Amino acid sequence: MAVLTQQKPTTVIEKLSDEIWRKKFLRNVIIPWVFIAPLLIIHIFVVAIPAVQGVYMSMTDWGGINPNVNFIGLDNYHELLFEDKSFGKSLNNNIVWMLFFLTVPFILALFCASMLAQIKRGGMLYRSILFIPYVLASVVTTTIWKNLLNPKDGIVAASARALGIEGFEVAFLGRTDTALMSIAFIDNWHFWGFLMILFLAAMQAIPPVLYDAAKIDGANRWQEFRHVTLPGIRPIVLFMFMMVAIWSFLAFDYIWLITQGGPGGASEVIATQLYKNAFQRFEAGYAAAQGVVISIFAGFIIMIFVMLRRRGWDI
Amino acid sequence: MKHLKILALLAILLFAISAAGAQDVTTVTLWFAEGSTLDCWGPIMLEFNDIDPAVQLEIVPQADTWNATRTAVVGGGGPDIVRTPGPSFVYEMAQAGLILPMDTFAESMGWSDFFFDWALDLGLVDGQLYSLSDELETLVMYYNVDVFEANGWTPPETMDELNALGEEVAAAGYTVFSHGNASWRPSNEWFVGEYMTQIAGPHNVYKALTGQIPWTDESMVEAMEVLDAHMQAGWYGGGIDLYFTNEGPTRRAMLADGTAAMNIEGSWAIRDLSTYHAESGQDWNWVSVPSKTGADHFTIGMGNTSSINANSAHPEAAAQFLTWYFSPETQGKMLTNCLKGPAPVSISEEVMGELDPRIAKVYADLSDASANDRYGYTTWTFWPPKSDVYIYEEVERVWTGEITVEEYLEGLNELFAEELEAGDIPPIPLR
Repeated sequence: MAVLTQQKPTTVIEKLSDEIWRKKFLRNVIIPWVFIAPLLIIHIFVVAIPAVQGVYMSMTDWGGINPNVNFIGLDNYHELLFEDKSFGKSLNNNIVWMLFFLTVPFILALFCASMLAQIKRGGMLYRSILFIPYVLASVVTTTIWKNLLNPKDGIVAASARALGIEGFEVAFLGRTDTALMSIAFIDNWHFWGFLMILFLAAMQAIPPVLYDAAKIDGANRWQEFRHVTLPGIRPIVLFMFMMVAIWSFLAFDYIWLITQGGPGGASEVIATQLYKNAFQRFEAGYAAAQGVVISIFAGFIIMIFVMLRRRGWDI
Repeated sequence: MKHLKILALLAILLFAISAAGAQDVTTVTLWFAEGSTLDCWGPIMLEFNDIDPAVQLEIVPQADTWNATRTAVVGGGGPDIVRTPGPSFVYEMAQAGLILPMDTFAESMGWSDFFFDWALDLGLVDGQLYSLSDELETLVMYYNVDVFEANGWTPPETMDELNALGEEVAAAGYTVFSHGNASWRPSNEWFVGEYMTQIAGPHNVYKALTGQIPWTDESMVEAMEVLDAHMQAGWYGGGIDLYFTNEGPTRRAMLADGTAAMNIEGSWAIRDLSTYHAESGQDWNWVSVPSKTGADHFTIGMGNTSSINANSAHPEAAAQFLTWYFSPETQGKMLTNCLKGPAPVSISEEVMGELDPRIAKVYADLSDASANDRYGYTTWTFWPPKSDVYIYEEVERVWTGEITVEEYLEGLNELFAEELEAGDIPPIPLR
């Protein structure tokens, strides 16, 4: 009995004349590329090309208006890293901002999510209430809090005064020692509900049998949280750690809307400084260099997480 | 018969096309910030459309007009009329060839007949006219008449008198100046420019602006030290912390309700003063900001400028609109109807007579000061962009005790020297 065996095509000509191979190639290679092509084209024009242009602009003395620019090499970077004292101050504020957002909202969100995960009835109402600040526009949030924190007529100061409590008539947003943290507090008021919802969703995906097993082993609530909940939501917590660290270098809207970096540069961060350089001082090339530096910081953070992942961290 | 019908239809079509061609309309575009100012100015500006049906103005509301305009013009588009926030912004656009020189229009349309001479000079870049200045501004010292009368105070004329009165006002429990920069952080610069003009003197400021003396000159140090002393004494807004948190409405209400006695601010504040004081029932008036010598000095400022876009398809029509808009008649109407700061043009006494005498006096005194060498300089009009930003950003570090007045002025001097060398200084009228 003769056995018919079909040989796999090896050369390009053989492959192209083989119908099965052609269909496979079409399905596995061509069609995915066709579907992704529109997004890829948009990305090239909207992200990749402007990014390359941005890197080029960072090596010029472009003012933002005059199209005639001079290539000045790494002068902007030299000035930024070795001469501009205000950049160091802004970077320091960004790091303080990052440390705040890597702790306060995470603790709040983890605590509230673990509490809410236990609630069987009415949980949706709590979740909605705590999530509402996240859907408010930053302009609305900042206006509300600027009024609340007004040292004269703000509700906080006025209520404390009415109750005879001293010490609340403080211009939190007007003092160099409290401005940055006050803005961080306001931004956090808006932000932490988002983290809480993410953590809550992750917690609800943890199989209940693990909690049952922990209970049988005699675990208390803290031990359940430490040995079941936290490992169960670790990927999302670590991912959000990375995102929040990156977002911290992009902090702009709340600071701009409330103090514009003041008073006396106390709440200045790299992004507000970048905006001023580009649109007020007309140093667009220098501002582009600042933008590139922010991207490098973000890349550095991503690199740390990639390394952790390669070492087996579940991210 | 069928062919006849087709021919008749073709004839009608051709007639219609030619008739439409005969009514070609040239549209001049202007981008303007959305809001209450446009609500009042807009209808008056659109009266231009009644003059010549063939040239029509189209106002396009924009949220962030200057940045939108700048970006569009650099990209080869933008409106026909390019409005900038002041003469210092015109320089770079002119250098880049983004706006047109308007000397031929100025000559053919007789702009020098109604513009003050120095005002046209403000629009010169390398000897050619690139912009027309609008919204003449000056800073004065407003005061609450009721508070002054109740305490038997008279408005000060010299800086020494102001210092003495300020202490009295503070001791009586009033805030000396109703102020705050929370709504507009660059308002810091109002005081820097004003104290320099009133204490160092307009001639010294002129010398510094033209590079004849440094900004670290003794007279400038003295001016900045007086300003710092007033800030440290809590005269502005009730304390430095409060100054940084007081919003615009708070500032207005403080003077109107008598919480504060005075307010050093620009002529633009008049619009709001009338409203707030009508509500509180307390009266207001103004005097020139006290100077070291007692002379009445008025700083000159321009709110914005108008130019013609180099990309404009019909610059002639744009120039036609500018001629109409800057005419004393239109400016007079906008002043009386909207309390708009007029362009630096000669507005008739008849129009000025229709105004509240307090308002008319601001412009009459400013005009007198500019004609008699008593005018000074506002930072946003006469300082180059980087130095201007430095002035209002870094002065906060002086007020919060981070740097000294000398260090602040050294920084300004260094930055200004760079911009002076690069030729980025806006036109400074000779004196």
